Amino acid sequence: MVIDLKRCIGCYGCQLSCKAEHGTPPGVFFARVVKREFGTFPNTQLTFLPLLCFHCTDAACVEVCPTGASHYRQGGIVDIDATMCVGCRACIQACPYGARYYHDEQAAYFPGQGLTPYEQRKYATHTTGVVMKCNFCIDRVTSGLEPACVANCASRARVFGDLDDPHSEVSQLVRLRGGEQLQPELGTRPNVYYLPV
Amino acid sequence: MTTLRQFSRFVAGSIGLMLRGPAVYWVWVATLVALVASGVAAYVTQVSEGLIVTAMRDQVSWGFYIGNFTFLVGVAAAAVVLVIPAYVYHWKPIREIVIIGELLAISAIVMSMLFVLVDVGRPDRVWHLIPGIGHMNFPRSLLAWDVLVLNLYFVVNVVVVTHILYRAFSGREYDKRFVVPLVLLSIPLAVGIHTVTAFLYNGLAARPYWNASILAPQFLASAFSSGPAILLILLQLLRRFTRFEIQQSAIAKIAELMAYAMFLNLFLHGAEAFKEYYSATEHLRFTQYWFEGLDGHRTMVPYAWTAVSLNLTAFLLFIVPTTRNNWITLNLGCVATYAGVYIEKGMGLIIPGLTPDTLGEIYEYYPTITEVRVAAGVFAVGFLVFTLLLKVAVPISLGEFQSDRMPEADAATAPRGLEPAPAGSAMSLRRTDH
Repeated sequence: MVIDLKRCIGCYGCQLSCKAEHGTPPGVFFARVVKREFGTFPNTQLTFLPLLCFHCTDAACVEVCPTGASHYRQGGIVDIDATMCVGCRACIQACPYGARYYHDEQAAYFPGQGLTPYEQRKYATHTTGVVMKCNFCIDRVTSGLEPACVANCASRARVFGDLDDPHSEVSQLVRLRGGEQLQPELGTRPNVYYLPV
Repeated sequence: MTTLRQFSRFVAGSIGLMLRGPAVYWVWVATLVALVASGVAAYVTQVSEGLIVTAMRDQVSWGFYIGNFTFLVGVAAAAVVLVIPAYVYHWKPIREIVIIGELLAISAIVMSMLFVLVDVGRPDRVWHLIPGIGHMNFPRSLLAWDVLVLNLYFVVNVVVVTHILYRAFSGREYDKRFVVPLVLLSIPLAVGIHTVTAFLYNGLAARPYWNASILAPQFLASAFSSGPAILLILLQLLRRFTRFEIQQSAIAKIAELMAYAMFLNLFLHGAEAFKEYYSATEHLRFTQYWFEGLDGHRTMVPYAWTAVSLNLTAFLLFIVPTTRNNWITLNLGCVATYAGVYIEKGMGLIIPGLTPDTLGEIYEYYPTITEVRVAAGVFAVGFLVFTLLLKVAVPISLGEFQSDRMPEADAATAPRGLEPAPAGSAMSLRRTDH
């Protein structure tokens, strides 16, 4: 995936559509936008950094998983087999990007009112006591759709494609615009590139 | 008499020993059982409600449990490594010391494994980690390595202890060709369990506070000071309340070795602190959080300085011959070592490693009552195991509990040249009520 920081307007569309797609509990964000303000008035700057799992080629989380619940799927997608996860959270310590969440309880968005019908339906798809994370919307991708955050990006800042194919749009963008990975020095070889502002 | 029958007599006799004791013994056991019960109740809540009842969150997702686990692996490792000075200095009651060290190792391993168990979110799936049955990610995952070495270490110690005690019970010498290689194997294994545990943290590039190659040596240094601290107190109690012969010079020698270990520990910590503060990269933030607090978050600061002062005190008490030969200052030093290393290696390792988190957020972790109750329960299980094991091991080592002294002893297997059995109960535990 490629994220064009020049195009990102910080609208949180990716974050919201991800929530709608996966029905993650409060505090869990497979996709999130981090906003930062820099400088002092009048020399100030506001930046947005959309984050998600980078589906690293040498993923530290897959490495440390004691049971192999964290694994690589077709196309290099890093996913968790929720039936194998013992909930030891070693992967959360290992991930340098904060992309993993421990799913503890089916917490209600509106405490005191119980789970809404929407929450009941979506929460049924997530196991508790295990770690959860972004899976690049693998169900959508295998049926020919784009991941929810890409399809719903208002300013087309996100592009999804095959980085192994040198002719794909993502490969060309990385090459021509100088795509950068986040913290490449950690040796995880992330598969999400940012196009600089 | 068949070996099986003899062994079942050994087991039955051991249980009998555990069920007999003075009032002090029963008060101690009852206290431990009460703590275990409270821990079990808290753990039931945790399993039904989820880890949300702990203070662990996504920002700080390992806490008190894993800190205790790390500390106890060190205790388990150090207990057996005491065998080395025992050999080097030709310490006379070596057999007893080996046994007590190994009993402590067994109890510490039980506790550390329980701490991992109470930390996982899905205890029902822990069987995935059993070699052969489960699906271990071996050799890539260090956690898988840790499970293997801890279990191996546990088995080796249980086998050695059972063999020595059973042979002593049967009135025979233990088999040197069997025991000595296993005891020697347990030394590299002891270093191994602690090194693998250090590598568990050390290998994570994402956590700069842990990603320092000084971690494993420093783990060993702090373990070699905290493990003997417990043993020293214990040896004094044994000397006081039983007929165990432990020379003062031996105790002073251990204290001296602890001073060196503590010096090494302080030195390695100092080296790390120098690197962090002098280079002052952004990685300094974790060390700052521990020693001075960060952006007004100062929960851990008192603990940091308590640990440093306790470790320094212990070092000074052990390095000066006068204070390490004085039993009051010696025991003060032991307690200071134990507490200092416990803070530094438990909370001091885990919490600053995860605070601030990878996105720079600060979540101040502080264990909840549930966590403290569960942890106290786990410690109580370990102390209970240790107490019961000692209750059997001490009389056997002193020759007070032997098959031929039991009323229905089979004359055919009894060794020659017996003294008559002492008056009263053959299994009486004289003055072992510590």
